[in-house]
Amino acid sequence: MRTVSRYVLAVVAVLGLAVTVAGQPAERGITPTEIVLGTSMPMSGQAALWGVGVGGGVDAWLRIINDQGGINGRKFRFLIRDDAYLPPRAIANVRELVERDGVLGVISSIGTANCFAVRDFMVESKTMWIIPACGADIWAGMKERNRYLFVTYPGYVDEGIYLTKYAVENLKAKKVAVFYQNDLYGQQGLLGVKRGVHMFQAKGAKLVGQVSYEPTDAEVAAQALKLKESGADTLILYATPRHGALIVRDILKLGYRPTLVSTFTLLDPVMFALAGEAWNDVYLASYMPVPGMDPKTDAVLAAITRVNPALARSPFNALAGVSFIEPFLEGIRRAGPNLTKERIVEAMETIRNWDGEVIRGVTFTKDSRQGINRLFMVKSERGQYTKLTDWYTYARKF
Amino acid sequence: MAAVTNLAQYFVGGLATGSLYALVALGIVLLYRSSRVLNFAHGDMATLAAFIALTLLWMKIPFPAAVAGGLLAIAVVGASFFFLILRPAKESTLLGKLVVTIGFALVLTGLVQIVWGTDTHVFPFPLSDTRVYKVGGVVISQMSLGTIAAGIFLVTVLYLLVQRTKIGLAMRAVAQDVSAAQALGIPARKIFALTWGLAAALGGAAGILLAPVVYLDPFMMLDPFLKGFAAAVVGGMDSLPGAVTGGFLLGVAESVFAGYVSFKFKTTLTFVIIILVLLVRPEGLLGREFHRRV
Repeated sequence: MRTVSRYVLAVVAVLGLAVTVAGQPAERGITPTEIVLGTSMPMSGQAALWGVGVGGGVDAWLRIINDQGGINGRKFRFLIRDDAYLPPRAIANVRELVERDGVLGVISSIGTANCFAVRDFMVESKTMWIIPACGADIWAGMKERNRYLFVTYPGYVDEGIYLTKYAVENLKAKKVAVFYQNDLYGQQGLLGVKRGVHMFQAKGAKLVGQVSYEPTDAEVAAQALKLKESGADTLILYATPRHGALIVRDILKLGYRPTLVSTFTLLDPVMFALAGEAWNDVYLASYMPVPGMDPKTDAVLAAITRVNPALARSPFNALAGVSFIEPFLEGIRRAGPNLTKERIVEAMETIRNWDGEVIRGVTFTKDSRQGINRLFMVKSERGQYTKLTDWYTYARKF
Repeated sequence: MAAVTNLAQYFVGGLATGSLYALVALGIVLLYRSSRVLNFAHGDMATLAAFIALTLLWMKIPFPAAVAGGLLAIAVVGASFFFLILRPAKESTLLGKLVVTIGFALVLTGLVQIVWGTDTHVFPFPLSDTRVYKVGGVVISQMSLGTIAAGIFLVTVLYLLVQRTKIGLAMRAVAQDVSAAQALGIPARKIFALTWGLAAALGGAAGILLAPVVYLDPFMMLDPFLKGFAAAVVGGMDSLPGAVTGGFLLGVAESVFAGYVSFKFKTTLTFVIIILVLLVRPEGLLGREFHRRV
């Protein structure tokens, strides 16, 4: 009797195990009806303006896709984890998303230091990482390890070179100063400007000031005075929206009016609300159409703000969020109904000079994960941006 | 000449920041003197006051009334915290009470994020931060002048209240010996509640003065609170003039250090000053040595 019971128990256990295994999706994050995605972003803290806009943009766009029936019968579930712009929290969040929530991929992530902190885990766990919003230079040199990585976000070193080049060639910049965040984001921007200045030494370009701030700094009045002391005729900004707005306001207070040039991370029109008049005549780079510049992009903005009206407060960041998910959605469409991670990767590798609703001219290949390598300049004038140049193209690095 | 002007400019910038540190430090010291509780929710109470005032401004309520509303509301929150949470936990150790204030800080941060979101807001203020005055080459904004003036005014009012009024006498008596004060007929509970309300309102004033300068978001007070706390330690945890001295000292030292030595180690400087001061005077610059009879 005892032996029979043991047999029954063993059979039940084996059957139970079999049922459990059968219930698991064949691929992490993919079921016949659903695709699970996640992200870690600063939804609070000093960089919340970026996270709330970008995360909200991705979320709203996926909701719109879901309302249209999803892609090939699968709808999206998008999990947002707040890292408060702190690298240790980004690591914990990404591990949780992959190991506990079982996401197929991580969409974006914000902060170069945060991306750098989770980079090794992402590579080792073979998790798809779609367009991390961090200086793309940290991917250079890891060609062998980036199979599941796809990037359209520009690198700050390339951008820094371009901003300096534009300032020297078009704005008669001679004495350049940089106001930068004292982390990987700001340091890469500074490196780009240094390289740019070096390239244009013959034209008289000189770096006369490099003034940093910490992301936790409440005010930057002393930095403003230091920049004024440098006597720079051109000031290049690598900062959070809050610190960017503070510094342009503080230098204005001191009666110091250099030509202002800025990274695209400060492109959101929220800067006009924060800095007021001080955000006039600022020259910025961009890698995608700015709100008010392109009817297709403006239609997307209208659609996502219908889903989440709060996104109207940071329209560029929200559109950037859409641009971060678009190529991935195209890859899923191309991969067809029998979806696996490898099929998505192969499908994304067929994307050539592809235009999304927001992002344009994306190309991925087996050998290159740098989907975009171009920028153009805009200028802020009376509360809106005007396009100044055509595309400037730089070399692909990865 | 330019070098002197620059030094003066760093000094003036430091004074404006220091006046805010002083206001934060005053609230912390006021509570510590009376109840020996380090209130880690002080910064978050200040943020909440600023958000309440901003909401009243959005409702088209005149500025003075909106500010008064914000300060009154936070004073009520402070007093309620004492009555509803801290007093029932009166048997807990000092460390236990400190942990309770940390918990309250987390609750307040969460509440602010839920109600107002995590966006950064521009706080409208009658004084302009971009309209400036030039005195001998030194630039000072209308807002900075107002901040320094408001700081000095509030410090003076608090000093007069504590040192020259009956309520102040009662506050000092309760701070010295609760049982003896009660035996003399002083309503200790009411005095504690008043102290908590007053300290919260002082923090709220710092928050409302800071918000137009650095923009308002739920995390605005993170750095100023730490600096205010450091100022209180430097000045002496039981000394109101010490808190003010510590605040101005830290503000000016930070600004001058950043200008002439390093921006990267600006925050580190605060802690170096704390270590140096505590090495030489463990009770703080103007604090009194604490003796306990056994």
